[in-house]
Amino acid sequence: MSDDIARLSEALARDPASLAFIELAEALRKRGDVEVATKVALRGLERHPHLGAAHDVLARLYADAGDLERAFDEWDMVLRFTPGHAGALKGLGFVRFHQGQLAEAERWLAQAAAADPADERNLGALAYVRQQLGTAAAPDAAAPPAEARAAASGHRATGTMGARELFADILGAEKGMALLLDEHGLVMAGGHEVDGRDVGQEVGAQLDSVGEEAERAMRHLGLGAWTSIVFETEQSTVAMAPGPENSLMLVSASRATPVGFVRRMLERSLQRAGRFLGGGR
Amino acid sequence: MRASPFAELLAALIRQRGVTGALVVSEADGIVVDANVSIGLKAEVLAALSASLYRRARLAAAAAGYGEATFLQLEAAQGRICAVGRSDLVLVAVTEPGANVGLVRMEMLKGLQGGALG
Repeated sequence: MSDDIARLSEALARDPASLAFIELAEALRKRGDVEVATKVALRGLERHPHLGAAHDVLARLYADAGDLERAFDEWDMVLRFTPGHAGALKGLGFVRFHQGQLAEAERWLAQAAAADPADERNLGALAYVRQQLGTAAAPDAAAPPAEARAAASGHRATGTMGARELFADILGAEKGMALLLDEHGLVMAGGHEVDGRDVGQEVGAQLDSVGEEAERAMRHLGLGAWTSIVFETEQSTVAMAPGPENSLMLVSASRATPVGFVRRMLERSLQRAGRFLGGGR
Repeated sequence: MRASPFAELLAALIRQRGVTGALVVSEADGIVVDANVSIGLKAEVLAALSASLYRRARLAAAAAGYGEATFLQLEAAQGRICAVGRSDLVLVAVTEPGANVGLVRMEMLKGLQGGALG
């Protein structure tokens, strides 16, 4: 990645009007240099204010920094230049979800599903939001187009039941949880019920970007790559580790379970997650 | 000059083999309250990460219905970060990879149970 950043920086230095700033900002973002990446994106947008892809990168940078309103504005801008942009639609849904505006989140995610029906993560998020809406409140009148709903629900029927039970055999008799979270803390697979209610997404929301944060801090502290986080609570031992594609795998078991066994469950779950995401891990 | 109320606790931790730094950190804002660290260890970075991680773990545990978080350990290729917390304060220890984390954990929980963090 450092080689890419050096190459793109040189390309941009040679030709400041080049579009290399988009790739450079994205590479810096992935490396965790959000501040520098934001400067690169903003400088590029001064020259190319009508580029949807540049606004998309800037939106993701704002989202990483927790500035959801600016992220929303940038993704909104993407749609003006590139109508139907699946990433922007998904981003708008992500922002509204994190702001607790589930009905609006559902509308954006459904449109994203219509634009990119193969995006399993988005379909998982959409299914979750719809499930929450079913228990919390009915979606409002401005519903997404019927074809968007059909596209999304068709995948949901075949996809999310398997995803939810993905780690059931690994947990076995343990009354613990196993969650596979994406980089934004959204549940991709697994679940956890408390009093008959799935609280997986609430757990995930607290761990949003935790892997990225740990990675950045380890780099500054010179401790190398982080491999696991284990935390003990009054009732359980929880273990998590970085998974494929910037995901986070989390498992838990009762306090009576030896920590070594919990780590073994985590390792098996990571292997399963790798196959689930198609990474072959 | 008056000694910090945490000086003794931090000194006991740093005496453990393989411990390179011990800090008391505010959980709410990640600010160092007191520290006893080896030269070169970036206490501010460590404080910010530890406070954030501990807060997230505590909130995630609460969301999962698991009660209070008691001990957290982050393992990295070249070391470990351990944390326990109470009353908006987090006690943090950084160790080398070969340190006996069991002893460090016991020392930290002893400090917590002794009311060192309030």
